[in-house]
Amino acid sequence: MSGSGYRLGIDVGGTNTDAVLMRGREVLATAKSFTTADVRSGVVNAVRMILDKAPEHRASIEAVMIGTTQFVNAFVQRKGLAPVAIFRVSLPKADGVPPLAGWPDDLVEVTGSHIYMVGGGALYTGKDYAPLDEDALRAAAEDARSKGLKAVAISANFAPIRPDIEEKAAAVVQSVMPDARITISSKVGGLGLIDRENAAVINATLAELSEKVIGSLQTAIADLEINAPIYISQNDGTLITTETASAFPILTCSAGPTNSIRGAAFLTGLDEAVVADIGGTTTDIGFLLRGFPRETTAANYIGGVRTNFRMPDVLSIGIGGGSLVRRGEGGWTVGPDSVGFRLAEEGLIFGGETLTASDIAVRAGQAEIGDPAKVAHLPDETVEAALDNLHRQIEDAIDQIKTSNHALPLVLVGGGSILVSRALKGTSEVLRPAHAEVANAVGAAIALVSGRVDKLYDVGAMGREAALEQARKEATDAAIAAGALEGEVEIVEIVELPMTHMKSGSVQIRVRAVGPLAALA
Amino acid sequence: MFIVDSVQDIQDMARGAVLLGTGGGGDPYVGELFVRAQIKNGRYPKVLSCDEIPDDAFVLSIAGIGAPSVIVEHLVSEKTLHRILARAEAFYGRRVDALISAEIGGANSMFPLALGAISGIPVLDADGVGRAVPHIEMTTFSIYGCKATPGIVMDDSGNVVTIEAVDDRMAEDLCRVVTGAMGAMSFGALYPMTGKQAKSFAVQRTITQTLEIGRAIRTAREESRDIFESLIDYLNSWDNRTARILFDGKITDVTHDTRDGWHFGRVTMTGLQDSTDECVVEIQNEFLVCRLNGKTITIVPDLISILDRESGEPLTGEMLTYGQRVKVLGYSADPMLRRPESLEVLGPRMFGLDEEFQPIETLLATA
Repeated sequence: MSGSGYRLGIDVGGTNTDAVLMRGREVLATAKSFTTADVRSGVVNAVRMILDKAPEHRASIEAVMIGTTQFVNAFVQRKGLAPVAIFRVSLPKADGVPPLAGWPDDLVEVTGSHIYMVGGGALYTGKDYAPLDEDALRAAAEDARSKGLKAVAISANFAPIRPDIEEKAAAVVQSVMPDARITISSKVGGLGLIDRENAAVINATLAELSEKVIGSLQTAIADLEINAPIYISQNDGTLITTETASAFPILTCSAGPTNSIRGAAFLTGLDEAVVADIGGTTTDIGFLLRGFPRETTAANYIGGVRTNFRMPDVLSIGIGGGSLVRRGEGGWTVGPDSVGFRLAEEGLIFGGETLTASDIAVRAGQAEIGDPAKVAHLPDETVEAALDNLHRQIEDAIDQIKTSNHALPLVLVGGGSILVSRALKGTSEVLRPAHAEVANAVGAAIALVSGRVDKLYDVGAMGREAALEQARKEATDAAIAAGALEGEVEIVEIVELPMTHMKSGSVQIRVRAVGPLAALA
Repeated sequence: MFIVDSVQDIQDMARGAVLLGTGGGGDPYVGELFVRAQIKNGRYPKVLSCDEIPDDAFVLSIAGIGAPSVIVEHLVSEKTLHRILARAEAFYGRRVDALISAEIGGANSMFPLALGAISGIPVLDADGVGRAVPHIEMTTFSIYGCKATPGIVMDDSGNVVTIEAVDDRMAEDLCRVVTGAMGAMSFGALYPMTGKQAKSFAVQRTITQTLEIGRAIRTAREESRDIFESLIDYLNSWDNRTARILFDGKITDVTHDTRDGWHFGRVTMTGLQDSTDECVVEIQNEFLVCRLNGKTITIVPDLISILDRESGEPLTGEMLTYGQRVKVLGYSADPMLRRPESLEVLGPRMFGLDEEFQPIETLLATA
């Protein structure tokens, strides 16, 4: 499950940047620091703390794994997004549902509505129904260039079967727009044009930011004189290279919750549990099933946009270390708004003037952070009332994610786990494993890589077994290409979706293969 | 008469259409997006009750035909919708006065509304089955004497095939073959009928039903009321219809299999906590039969829907996976579907099940 070498796991959350030094299954050192606006200095601070604790291991570090929620946060908050030129190769089909059709208005204001639809595309058989209209595409690209657009998303009908159509279109667009960063949909999604195209546009709008952030992370690690390859966590908890992450930031968008759930599994050895990751701003409650996060099955919405990514099924509530504690009409409440990463300046215990959940926890004697004298004046009734409210909100959320009355163990992770002091309804026990405060960084340091395939196969002509074999091989090859150790790759998921209502032999097959990182073997 | 003028209404309708799709019928999302875009541009579909049109009005069904996994790639073309309407009017030699959905369950709830929005032609608050069915001959139009053809089938590239079949079973076969050659997706102009026929042969008020089902689920969710109580109360408010929660549990197994182009499958669920109850739903494109501990408790053409236990979101067969927490809903079909002449065409035996139809009310009374 994990390599034998020394590795550094880092998780850049909205509030905290956590780091952990591991060797095999052993956690050697941990550190927690505040996330900074530039990301980089927060990482440097956390890693410096680790190196101060274990300076002798600096040279032994063989890999650095980083999980970050920067990109999904940027998208959700509509910050740092680039306007996107969207080229869809589909005419005469699909003109009734243009790109961005289901997008929230505030987002379209940011990304713009630079939509170009041109002729071309394939049927499910792989046959062209219309040739790529290169002249129209070139004219469209010239228009996009004249608007000064730099981010480009390209989609085409049945691109998962015929990626060459998008690749050819990308070459044409690139020849007109040499500076453009181009995302083609077949690289970021499976069947379903709208969801796949949405993913491509999200990716395109983030590409500039991601190049900057990944670049600054690389500089940070280099400045720390750590000479090891850097990997980034993706949605299913496996790793991708910095080049891949830089080009495909969307692959990282649910790595945060995945890493904390995987880290909780790793630290407790549990296979089934409820995991509550209490951070500075939110509590993310997920379900650990057979060692992995339970994934949602319905379409997923990122910042209000539908995609076909499979994501961990996580319920977020506005409870965290930085949550504002206030008295309203119904008594004392905690959250949902938070001072976030400004806790270090604004919390009472840090000399600030805002009453936060962390102040309550310190006053209640649940934690020793900051200056307890600064909260000594808070009356007992206020502390009790705030704790009542906080525990009730978490209990309600656990009840929602569990969907069965059967009591399950609850694993508390994240820096905000100090907020919980009481037994919680619906749980058999509350576990706080050692290093729980950096579980997400531990999750990042679990060195697995994966490969996926999601395509239509002609089972009628190939036979089912041969088609499945082909899909398994393609997924395995993709995992090895991503850095997995050959011979150690396992198929962890196979989904067959027959094409209904038609007498064709085509079956949509989705396969995921996972293996340990070859670099650490 | 009512005008669909809010995005929320169309989203509610799509949710209701998935429920009435009983696991099949295709995801209405593509059509929903199309209509949403029209509504944003101020083009609103108008829905008429069948009583509001004259007996001699010309009514036509415009339906998407094809595999759900292809529709999600090819989406829908506004130009094609305009063209099929023009071709159909030329073919039948008269103007279309109203559109009607062939089946309200799934994607074909939306396409008439889409065409209604762009053409201004009203859509009737009715359809040919009140749920989803896999074949053209399984609609009440067909059963009560309004044939699907002569009609036309058309693709986005402009290929047009006119079909005139001896019966609707044959029309089904011909449409499938033609659609296959067109890349597994086409649009059909079918079931030409008069206003009088629509009044007598269609299942009535089903667009209203999709809207109100979707709304019952959404508002209960928003107001933190019991979603299933709200939904069951609504469904039971229809005369001569019975809705019940058949099972509450989690999915422990799902199998899928394709034979002759049809989706066969079986979903096995077990009760929560210490319950040993087992519920099995058989799938043949739609959910066909629900058995509790081996005993049939709802069977086609009565409706079976599977919904997410928490959000109340209705799920299609393709969305079901191991470990999901769900509730199974049973709902009696419209009385037109339960008559002997209907059961001959869409009763259990037509799906290869070796049992007679029994109404959900009877099955639950003896359960």
